[in-house]
Amino acid sequence: MEPAATVARFPGWLRVVQIIVIGRNPKRTLIRAAVLGTVCFVFFKFFFFEHIVRQVRVEGNSMFPTYHDGTRNFVNKLAYRHSDPKRGDVVAIRMAGEHEMLLKRIVGLPGETVAFANGRLLINGEEIEEPYLKHHSPAPDMKPVTLKPREYYVIGDNRMMSEQGRIDRDRIVGRIIL
Amino acid sequence: MKRVVQVLLLAAVAGLAFWLWTVFFPSPEKAIRSRLNALAKAVSFDAHGGLISQALNAESVGEFFTVDVDVEVTVPGFEGLSMHGRDEVQQAAMGARHRLTALKVEFVDMNVKLDPDGQGAKVNLTGNAKVPGEKEASAQEFNFILKKVDGKWLISRVETVKTLSFRSADFSLVADES
Repeated sequence: MEPAATVARFPGWLRVVQIIVIGRNPKRTLIRAAVLGTVCFVFFKFFFFEHIVRQVRVEGNSMFPTYHDGTRNFVNKLAYRHSDPKRGDVVAIRMAGEHEMLLKRIVGLPGETVAFANGRLLINGEEIEEPYLKHHSPAPDMKPVTLKPREYYVIGDNRMMSEQGRIDRDRIVGRIIL
Repeated sequence: MKRVVQVLLLAAVAGLAFWLWTVFFPSPEKAIRSRLNALAKAVSFDAHGGLISQALNAESVGEFFTVDVDVEVTVPGFEGLSMHGRDEVQQAAMGARHRLTALKVEFVDMNVKLDPDGQGAKVNLTGNAKVPGEKEASAQEFNFILKKVDGKWLISRVETVKTLSFRSADFSLVADES
């Protein structure tokens, strides 16, 4: 009877609002909300943001101007569950773990021969257009490197400043979302 | 109801006992992690420390290494660093205190792999160094080899892991002829 008395305190439309917001039985609603909140917290904290999407903060300027220092982003960890990484994808690369990761763009795929000449990307000896580059920052020249079956070649968009190199597929955590 | 309370109390006591056991008798992995965290703390220093305390602090860094420790470190953008012996490590720690006003070192993602005999271990981790005032932190992957000497875990080798298999021989910076 107590909850009904509480509801009766609010006449007219306020009562409708109250029923919508906190229900007919506030005590029960509070418990439900607490349970739901806990379940959501556990789901997002220990499952969603661990195994599906990872929140990251960009540090440094190696991906400038595509990604700016200090901006926040997300990594889709399921992106390559059923498909392989593609040229142009921006990926998160784990170091010893996932607390610190590198953010780089894939330019070379397994089995390809990658080189840079006059600032241009060469794949198997042919110059490749890179439409994903917002402004052309020439990369230092590099002798051809042939990638192994599970290797990818990655580099930052700010090519004069970025580290680059081959990485194993196992190091790719996922694709950047935004 | 009384039985439920008894069971809950028993579970709480068991949990507390287990926690105390892990505090007083940590597993080798846990002991190694806390040892490396202590090293990161010893290597770090702030601008407010006096000369004597900094010297003592630098000397304490040596306690984490074996007498014949080998350190081979290459960080992108810096010269390679090669040290042999505990004394050289201590001198380098002292030198860093002279060159920098402050330094904050942190180890994350420590993957500890114990040797089968339990007397040695290999740790793969990411080291994060930040000089206050500088915007970018420097992250680098390392392998630490540790040995158990007189019940203490001491570092016998430190080497960098090239996350990106960057090879300097592949690169040649071309002079701008324009």
